[in-house]
Amino acid sequence: MLRVAVLHPDDADGRQLTQQLQRIGCQVQAFWPPVPTLPEGTDVVFLAVQPEITQLEFEWSKSENAPTCIAVVTYENPTIVETVLRLKAKAVLPAPVRSFGLLSALVIARTVNSEIQCQSRRVRKLESKLAGARQIVEAKNILMRTRKVSEGQAYDLIREQAMSKRATTEDIAGAIINANEILSMGVVSAAPKGEDP
Amino acid sequence: MARTTERSKGPIRVGVLFSETGVTSTIGRSQLQGTLLAIDEINGAGGVDGREILPITFDAQSSPPRYAALAEHLITRDKVNVIFGCYMSSSRKAVLPVIEKWNKLLFYPTLYEGFEFSNNIIYTGAAPNQNSVQLAEFMTANFGSRVYLIGSDYIYPYESNRIMGDLVLQRPGSEKLAERYVPLDAAPADFDAIMRDIRSQQPNFIFSTVVGDSTAMLYSAYAQAGFDPKTMPIASLTTSEAEISQMGWDVAAGHYTSAPYFQSLDSENNRGALARLRRRFGDECVPNLCWEAAYFQMHMFANAMRHSEGDEIAQIMPQLLGSEFEAPQGRVRIDASNHHTCLYPRIGRAEATGQFKIVREARRPVHPDPYMVTHSLGDWTAKLEEQL
Repeated sequence: MLRVAVLHPDDADGRQLTQQLQRIGCQVQAFWPPVPTLPEGTDVVFLAVQPEITQLEFEWSKSENAPTCIAVVTYENPTIVETVLRLKAKAVLPAPVRSFGLLSALVIARTVNSEIQCQSRRVRKLESKLAGARQIVEAKNILMRTRKVSEGQAYDLIREQAMSKRATTEDIAGAIINANEILSMGVVSAAPKGEDP
Repeated sequence: MARTTERSKGPIRVGVLFSETGVTSTIGRSQLQGTLLAIDEINGAGGVDGREILPITFDAQSSPPRYAALAEHLITRDKVNVIFGCYMSSSRKAVLPVIEKWNKLLFYPTLYEGFEFSNNIIYTGAAPNQNSVQLAEFMTANFGSRVYLIGSDYIYPYESNRIMGDLVLQRPGSEKLAERYVPLDAAPADFDAIMRDIRSQQPNFIFSTVVGDSTAMLYSAYAQAGFDPKTMPIASLTTSEAEISQMGWDVAAGHYTSAPYFQSLDSENNRGALARLRRRFGDECVPNLCWEAAYFQMHMFANAMRHSEGDEIAQIMPQLLGSEFEAPQGRVRIDASNHHTCLYPRIGRAEATGQFKIVREARRPVHPDPYMVTHSLGDWTAKLEEQL
């Protein structure tokens, strides 16, 4: 069951919103004024973006696994639109709230949110992979220079180490780079830096 | 074809919803008097094809929830199809869902921050392109581009300050020194720290979006601080003759306001309306831009009714859109595409007489642009004529 926090005044819109959410099977808790921390395990937040909250900071909206935020708006001027963007809302529900349209907004917002989270995880993974590949190239270069071995042999050395230490080739490459930095302390300027174009 | 049913002979009942008490009551009462004056004139001249306009009036007490409740009451109990009212944006926003739910019509006689359109509202006050753009142009050209923003703590000042800030920052060497807010029910002491800050920052001008009773406190605090309007005036969109009457004429003198209407306008229509107002309400009423909008919108409604089968929105809206009226400020027209009104931007400088001297004036009406689609400074089409 979807856990939904409704940060909205207890008025006609707030009640319409919570009732419709309950009808479509959500577990709803409602708060106003906005609480600084959300209940544990909140999946979705409906936030009334009213003029008086435009200056507030919402810590929960900034975390990595932030719940999906849907803004409920009464005004459509730049001040409010900017706040909606700052909160990283994934959908906007216009007030007065109607029951029709809420389900679609909820589904779209949840999908967009999980796609974004998925993609940012993927991007992070690719970034670390890319950084690792760069490190392996650098470690190979160090080995080729210091051990006078070919590129293939340098890579074999790294992989053997990784297997015997039960570590990744990226970790071993990192260790080689670190060790090389420490060993060449004080002679950095004299060391040839052939690997850099 | 003669319309002779019983219903069409009876009075036309309309809802009138302003604040006669509370923080914005000075303007609210003037809007009510503008509305009632127009109704008097219409009824005195034979009504709408013989039908009298009958106002049903409530005091919304400057409280948005009360506005919403009374709008609902006017529609469901008093069976009105048209409501004239609201001042603060928060009051309009409270009434809007009620009006839309019942598909009724609201006439809103107040300048506001724009970024709204409703099929169920006619907006007869200035949109930002009809007051803010001209004020920014005038103030930066004459005083400089280092601006200090002060406002009441609600949506109209937030958005208005944002628009003014954006406009001023288009100028070279411009700077937004601060953006400060005071509560709607501010006390004089709320302005002390702001005046100290202004003294140390020395802006070229102050832009005020303070509304209601605290307006007088701002100008008084400024005067007490000993600042000089000749070199660092306050510029506003809402400080009208009504607010000036609350603060004292000497306190207001030298400061600037941008509005489509000033009491001092020298036109036949204006002099006539003011004379009739004095006869009807004495000297207690202080006519201002919102009074004028409230006055002319009622006449526009009556004129539209003369061409309409009834006062339901579907019947009357086609007659209203594109219609024109010889208002005290000049010939105004309701724009058919955005329901706002073509108005005449003007810049006035408050004098020691409590009246504004009009120093800039648009010769042609300016088309309303509530979403600020075009708002560049220096656009000659927006430039106002100098008044000598």
